Amino acid sequence: MNTLNKTLLALAIGLSFQAQAAEAMKMPPDLPPLGQDKAIPAPQITKKTLANGLQVWVLPRKGLPRVDFVLALRGAGHGADPASHPGAAKLLAGLMNEGTAQRDSKAIAEAAQGMGGSVGAGASNDGITVYANALSAHAPAMTALLAEVARQPAFPEGEVKLAQANALQALKVASAQPGFRAEKALNEAIYGDHPYGRTQETEASIQAVTPEWLRSEHAKRFRPDRALLVITGRLSADQALKLAQAHFGDWKNQGSALPELAAAPTQAKPQHILLERPGSVQATLRLGRPGQAASADDQVALRLASTILGGSFSSRINMNLREEKGYTYGASAGARSFRDGGAIRGGADVRNAVTGASMEEYVKEYRRLGQEAVGADEMAMNKRFIAGSYLLATQMQAAVAQTLANNWLVGLPPEFLGQYVPKVQQVSPAQIQAVAKKYFAPEDQSWVVVGDKAQIAEQLKAYGEFKTP
Amino acid sequence: MKTKPFALLLSGLALAAAAHSAPTVERWDVPVHSKKLANGLTVLVSPDPSSPTVGLSVIYKVGMRLEPKNRTGFAHLFEHLMFQGTPKAPKGVFDKVITGGGGHNNGSTRPDFTNYVETAPVSALETMLWLEADRMTTLDFNPATLKNQQDVVKEEIRVNVQNQPYGGFMWIDIGGLAFDKWENNHDGYGSFVDLENANLEDVKAFHRDYYGPNNAVLSIAGDVTPEQGFRLAEKYFSKIAARPTPAPSDFREGLNTAERRLVQSDKLAQVPAVAAAWKLPDRGSKDQAPFAVLGELLAGGDASRFYLGLVKGKELALNMNSLYGLTGIWEYDGPSLFTVFALYKPGTTADALLAGMDEEIAKVVKDGVDDATLTRVKTQLLANWYNGLENFLGRADMLARLQTLWGDAKVVNQIPGWIQAVKSEDVQRVARTYLTVANRSVIDRKPAAMLAAPAAAASQAQQ
Repeated sequence: MNTLNKTLLALAIGLSFQAQAAEAMKMPPDLPPLGQDKAIPAPQITKKTLANGLQVWVLPRKGLPRVDFVLALRGAGHGADPASHPGAAKLLAGLMNEGTAQRDSKAIAEAAQGMGGSVGAGASNDGITVYANALSAHAPAMTALLAEVARQPAFPEGEVKLAQANALQALKVASAQPGFRAEKALNEAIYGDHPYGRTQETEASIQAVTPEWLRSEHAKRFRPDRALLVITGRLSADQALKLAQAHFGDWKNQGSALPELAAAPTQAKPQHILLERPGSVQATLRLGRPGQAASADDQVALRLASTILGGSFSSRINMNLREEKGYTYGASAGARSFRDGGAIRGGADVRNAVTGASMEEYVKEYRRLGQEAVGADEMAMNKRFIAGSYLLATQMQAAVAQTLANNWLVGLPPEFLGQYVPKVQQVSPAQIQAVAKKYFAPEDQSWVVVGDKAQIAEQLKAYGEFKTP
Repeated sequence: MKTKPFALLLSGLALAAAAHSAPTVERWDVPVHSKKLANGLTVLVSPDPSSPTVGLSVIYKVGMRLEPKNRTGFAHLFEHLMFQGTPKAPKGVFDKVITGGGGHNNGSTRPDFTNYVETAPVSALETMLWLEADRMTTLDFNPATLKNQQDVVKEEIRVNVQNQPYGGFMWIDIGGLAFDKWENNHDGYGSFVDLENANLEDVKAFHRDYYGPNNAVLSIAGDVTPEQGFRLAEKYFSKIAARPTPAPSDFREGLNTAERRLVQSDKLAQVPAVAAAWKLPDRGSKDQAPFAVLGELLAGGDASRFYLGLVKGKELALNMNSLYGLTGIWEYDGPSLFTVFALYKPGTTADALLAGMDEEIAKVVKDGVDDATLTRVKTQLLANWYNGLENFLGRADMLARLQTLWGDAKVVNQIPGWIQAVKSEDVQRVARTYLTVANRSVIDRKPAAMLAAPAAAASQAQQ
């Protein structure tokens, strides 16, 4: 937040280069070649399912005297939020560490601080994740605190009221950011009335929450037979399994499980939306269409296509719009995949004068990926980038635990983590072209633009009839 | 407005919860090997074979403080130009080679330094060192890339400042209010006029004056031995000649003697916010470690006094965030600020929030910190310190920062002991000395509609 960086890593992916020059670039003659690659280690996971159905995965690490826990509750996230309570999973997750049957919020915060760690929860489309970490000497005490927070949250009335009051203000804060408004409109355009399309809270949904509602949702959504506990760090598999058994072994399911979520749409009629923001000095451009579920067959090809097009600094979109044209600080594009569907999204914030010109480049780049085979150099660069990124991510134990838990939430097998890089290396240019035709066809994309209508409306005309809701 | 982060990183200590204020810490030293090349380049290597990857940081001892007075924002613009190609490696090569090596790179500009960082599988190490040495030698001083990055930087300012509610006032504008000297109080992003006036002569001069090996530190952490690291540094960097670096101006200034207040109107925001900043102890002062403990005690997360007192207890603020200038408590050389930033509720005022903070500060001044609390706060501070060193990029960069600012990267292994040694009376002393109203600068940032409302009411009353 408070640094002047060369780049922001935008849209949950990394961020450039003239596409035409990508193949033809001359390398300096005395640039040393890359050295010998070392083998990529696949994580060794010890797995056990407790009698109540809770799955426990342990990855002992030798590095740091620290332990990380990720407890993933499948189906407990925004997918389970009823239409009357959009975004409520966020409040539910946020309130988990604000009081339990034994401790108030202050006691929880101070206990975590004393262990050199933290405990808290977050919501995503497919689940709620309760996470904790501590210095490894405190592994037993942190397991106990994690279990308390996950199993016995009290949702005290005062804390709920305060969280609601603050959430209403935070919604005002967020709504002043053009990206937040664009995200909401684009979600609706992509997913329609599927729960994935309404993950943002509204004033009404914040006000509708009560302690009783939260307690009943917690009981429905937090079930050992739909949960995974990942433990990693400086402890043995044996010790970790014993701790899991001691603190989660007697956890019981209550009532029947929530129904599984229906599949999200795979097609949507493209919409063109202009959200007015008078005085805006940039147009916030976002485009998107439905994508595919994380476990779909051509997921790996789609991920590589996303990286090539708009998933790193050296991607086509960023190179074109930033490094060649100077239209933006960062432009990106790519797929996001969840358990029951996904989205293709792209976007950049550009000065008003180049709104139309920037949209034109997006259209060109999206189309080109489906029309021309990607050359060997560009394929190799992007494959190596993905492999390297995987290796770099495994430096940090918390990241490994989170990735494993997230893969599980979205329906990918644990082996996926180790198989991903080899699978990426198998993808052919023809497969890239095929997924690009299917998902990046410009005519299938909805457009959402947030900006000053007087400054940009004229430039939008070439891209459809933009409606202002 | 950071959400609570997943605790990110770590590296090596085991604390037994002791009942007194000195947590028993299993020492974890970061290995630090250093060597100075004949041309003045300081090379640091921190070996760790646990992952077949490396982190790399090249830091130049120049930042916003030393940019030319008629060229605000130049140090940052120049940082962008370091990625725009050289005579040997034209524009695009740098990023493409590092991406193709499986790596990530970035750079950032701060008041006292500019850092250039890469992290990648170790197979790309030599390639990255060649690229860093190449751009330290010279750049392709080219009008097209200058124009391109002037445009990009202007979009960066639009997206982060002009088109954003709050516009970074808590880290840009606050320095303008708190500091007296130009070096410390100008906007490091710069004015569009100054950015547009920047020319190739400026770029050449800046590279010549500040980007020589003698004004730089090269730091490598990860799957590399000291012998390998030094050999490669020698191979790629020793041919670059040292260049005279201008003596820095005297940018030091003392604590403030009267409170500074500013009310700003924000056209985009809908919720008011306040930033309160106090000038920090000098780097290396005996007050620095106690201040680190004090800052954590007051503003370090959900167990902090400000959070418990103002977000929870009095329910005045939505959140509480704290900053140490643009870096951290150990990473500044010239004057810096401890800034607390909070969004506050429509029913309250900045004054009420400040009074609540003063109340918490006064408690510390009067009572000090009890042993149990001091132990907890130190434990968290030590864990955070080691966390920041977990990944190789963070480790290499922190070592380079400490070398640049303290003249000795081995400070990395002294900081934990400094934290451990802090006593209640030290915390009392720094609270009394620095967290005074006289040393405080405050910006109250209000939605334009809120500011217009009282004015409108007043004019209606007159009619």
